[in-house]
Amino acid sequence: MELPQPNQDIVARSADIIAALRALVPDGVVGEQAELAAFDGDALTAYRQKPLACVLPRSKNEVCAVLAFAADHNIPIVPRGAGTSLSGGALPRADGILLSLTRMNRILEIDLDNRCVVTEPGATNLAITRAVEANGFYYAPDPSSQIACTIGGNIAENSGGLHCLKYGLTTNNLLGVEFALAGGERVTLGGKAPGANGLDLLGIVAGSEGLLGIVVEATLRVLPTPPATRTLLAAFPSVPAAGQCVADIIAAGIVPAAMEFMDKRCIAAVEAHCAPGYPRDAEGVLIIDADGISSEVDDAVYRIGEIARKNGAAVREATSESERARLWAGRKAAFPAMGRLAPDMLCMDGTIPRRALPQVLSRMSEMAEEYRLGFCNVFHAGDGNLHPLIIFDVMKGDELARAEAFGAAILRLCVDVGGVLTGEHGVGVEKRDLMPAMFTDADLDQQQRLKCAFDAGSLLNPGKVFPTLSACVEQGHMHVKDGRLPFANLPRF
Amino acid sequence: MTAVIAQTEDEVATVVRAARVTRKPFEIIGAGSKRALGRTSSTGHAGLDVSLNGIVAYEPEELIISVRPATRVSEITTVLAAKGQRLGFDPPDWGPLLGAPAGIGTIGGAISCDISGPARVRHGAVRDQLLGFRGVNGLGEVFKAGGKVVKNVTGFDIPKLVCGAFGTLCVLTEVTLRVFPKPPRSQTFVARDLSPTDAFALLRKVWASPLEASALSCTPAGAFVRLEGEAEPLADKIGLLHSLCNSVKLAASDDLELDSIANGEIFVSTDENVWRVAIPPSRAATVVEAVASPRWSGDCAGGIVWIATHDHKKLRQIVHAAGGYATLIRTDAKARSDIDVFEAEDPIRAQLTRAVKKAFDPLGLFNPGRMWDGV
Repeated sequence: MELPQPNQDIVARSADIIAALRALVPDGVVGEQAELAAFDGDALTAYRQKPLACVLPRSKNEVCAVLAFAADHNIPIVPRGAGTSLSGGALPRADGILLSLTRMNRILEIDLDNRCVVTEPGATNLAITRAVEANGFYYAPDPSSQIACTIGGNIAENSGGLHCLKYGLTTNNLLGVEFALAGGERVTLGGKAPGANGLDLLGIVAGSEGLLGIVVEATLRVLPTPPATRTLLAAFPSVPAAGQCVADIIAAGIVPAAMEFMDKRCIAAVEAHCAPGYPRDAEGVLIIDADGISSEVDDAVYRIGEIARKNGAAVREATSESERARLWAGRKAAFPAMGRLAPDMLCMDGTIPRRALPQVLSRMSEMAEEYRLGFCNVFHAGDGNLHPLIIFDVMKGDELARAEAFGAAILRLCVDVGGVLTGEHGVGVEKRDLMPAMFTDADLDQQQRLKCAFDAGSLLNPGKVFPTLSACVEQGHMHVKDGRLPFANLPRF
Repeated sequence: MTAVIAQTEDEVATVVRAARVTRKPFEIIGAGSKRALGRTSSTGHAGLDVSLNGIVAYEPEELIISVRPATRVSEITTVLAAKGQRLGFDPPDWGPLLGAPAGIGTIGGAISCDISGPARVRHGAVRDQLLGFRGVNGLGEVFKAGGKVVKNVTGFDIPKLVCGAFGTLCVLTEVTLRVFPKPPRSQTFVARDLSPTDAFALLRKVWASPLEASALSCTPAGAFVRLEGEAEPLADKIGLLHSLCNSVKLAASDDLELDSIANGEIFVSTDENVWRVAIPPSRAATVVEAVASPRWSGDCAGGIVWIATHDHKKLRQIVHAAGGYATLIRTDAKARSDIDVFEAEDPIRAQLTRAVKKAFDPLGLFNPGRMWDGV
C-alpha cells in the first residue's frame, strides 16, 4: 500500500496553518517535526506518516473552532484517540491536521439511577469501569487495549472485545453523543432517554471511523457487575471437534460471557512466552467464561463441561482466582507471544459463520505455505470473529507484501464463506481496498452518499474506509469552495 | 388508492425506477397494520404492496435468521420457538390499537416502525438486532448493508438507520436478525397498590441488579417483573427478587398481562390521543404524575411511558422538562395532520436528517412526509 501524495498547496501553507491553529488552541498545537514523530501512526505499525500538525484541544469549543478553520481552508482532519487502532484509522496525512482528543478525558457525570456515565471522548475505556465499579457496575465493551484506548476511538471503531457475544459491541452500549460536524456545528444524538426521536443517526455514528464527525461527549450504559464468574479450559483433539462444541453450546441455549479459541501454533507460542498451563498436545483449546448469579453460572458450567467432553475434550476448571487470571493472561498474551517469533505482525479480523471454521482453518494452513509465512489463530469463538496473526519481518525482502497478500486472501476467504472483512477492528486503510470483495458498487455508493450527507467537502479522515473516493458532486451534494473541487485528483493510499 | 404488488426484489426495483420517471411517490405497505402510525401525508399516494414473504435461512447455531420483509412476526416467533429461541426485541402487536386485525403485522413493519416489547430491557431494541439487510434505494438500485454474522463493523452501520425510519429511506427486501435463546422457564411477578414513584423505583432497583429481568413494566395496576432461567437458577432469582423488594408484596402474574401492556390494550377504547414517551428512567414517575392521566403504562424500567391525553402542549412541555421526547402513536386523522407526530428537530439536526433522506431517496419517492415535512 502506498501512502497518499500530499496536497502541496496545503503543505506549502503549513507555517501559516500552524500559526492559525495556535491562535485557536493556544497551548495545544504540536508543529515541530521532531515532536510530530510521536504522532506518526497508530497500532497498524507497518505505516508511518507525520501529520502537518497535531492539535490537542481541551474543550468542545476548541474542537469546533478547529473544524470550522479546516473547513474554511479545505484542510483534511484525521481524528485520533489513543492511537491504538489496528486498521490504521488514525494514520495521519502529511497535508492534514491530526485532531487528538486525549486531553478531553474527564468523566462528566455518573448517573447510576439511570445506569449511565457521561464522559468526554478522551477518557479511557477502563476509566469508565473504574469510575463505577465501587458501586457494583461496569462498562461492558472491553477491547484488549482497554487500559489505553479512548471512548471516542471505541465509538469511531465500534470496538468489541471478549464479551460482546453476550453484552454487545460499543454501539449496543452507547446511549448518546454530542457530535461535532465537519463545519464546526454541534448536534446532540440520543441521550439518557432510550431510542431515537426520528432517524437513528446515533446508530451510524458508531463505527463511522471518523468519517462523519467528531464525538465530543458520550453517554454510556453501565451494567451491574455479575456476582459470579467461572472459567473452563477445554482441550480438543481436533479443530472440528472444538467447532462442534461451540455450536452445541449455542444450540443448548447457553450464551457464555466469553468463549475463546486458540490453535496449536498459538498454544505453543503462548506456552513458550508465559506458560499459562495449556496442554501442548491439544489441536486447539477453548477458554470459556460463564457469568451471572451463582446458581446460573454453576448450571452453565456443568452443561458446558458435559458438551465439551461429549466432543472429546479434556476439561478443567480454574479452581482459584489466580488460576483464572493465568488462563486469561495466556489468551491475552497471544500477540506478544507471537511477537517474539518475528519482528512484525499483522492481526486480521474477519468474522465467519462458525460452521465454516474447520474449512477456513485448514485453507489458511495451506495459504500459509503458499505465502511462506508463519501464523497462528486466535478466535472469538462465540461470535465467529477470527484473529489470524501473521508474523513477518518488514526488513526481509518482500515479506511485508507477502504478509499483506496473505491477510487479504484470508479476508476474501471469510467473505466467500458468508462472513465479513472486519468484526471489530474497522476498515481503516488496512482493509479499504478489500471493500469491493464484500460490497458491490451500489452498496459502496450508498455508503458514500451517506458520508456526503455529513461531510460534503470530504475533509474528515479522507482516504479511509472507501477504496475510491467519489466526489460528492456525483452524489448531488457537492460542496464547492472558491470554485475548486476538494481533492478532485486526490491520490489514493 | 391503488397498490402495485411486488413479489420479488427485481419487481420492487422496477417499480422504483418507473416512479423515478413519473416522479410519483408511493406508500410502502406490508400488511398495512401500521398505516395509522406516523404523519398522514404519505398515505394519499399510490401503494407499493411489498409481498416478499418467507424465511430465507434460519441457522439456530449461528444465532441468525434471514427473512423477507412481509413475513409475519407471528410466523417468525413460532419458527424460533421450535428451536428454543426468540426475537430479542420482542415485537408486540399494535394491530388492534391502530385499528387493524391482530396477528398480521410483518417483520418489515416492526423494523421500520421501531417496535420493541418488554424483553427490550434485557436484549435491546430492534436496532440492536438487525445485522444486515437488502433493499432498493430511491435510485432504483438494489443494495445491501451490514452482514449475516453476529459481529461485523465493515462499512457504515446502515441497518441501524433503517430501524425506525418509517420506510422513508429504502424498500426493504430481505432482513437478517440476531436471535436469542429463550430460557426454558419464566415467572412474572406483580407488585400492586404502589404509587407511580414507588412502582418505578422498584423497577429501577431490579434493573440495577444482576437478575437480568426480561420485563420491567408498569401500569396503574402494578409493577411487573419477569425473571427467566433454568429451574434452579430461576428459583434463586425469585428468592433474590423477594429480598430486593423487602416488604413489598409480590404476587404471581403471567405473560398475558405483560402482552396486554405491550400491545397497548388499555388504550384501545380511549378517544384521547395516545403517546409514547421516551425519558431517562428516573423521570418516569414525574412525567406520569404531572400529566395526571388515568391511562398510562411504563416499560424498560421507566425509559418508555405510554400515556393518553388530549393536551399535547402540556405533555410535550412536561416531557421536555424531564429530558425526553414524545411520539404520537394514535389519534384521529385531523389531529394527525395538526400535531407533530415526531418532535420537531433543532435546525442543524433537521438539516442532517434531510441530507440523509436525500442520500437514500433524492427524489422523495418513499413515504414522503411520513416523519416530517420533506422526510
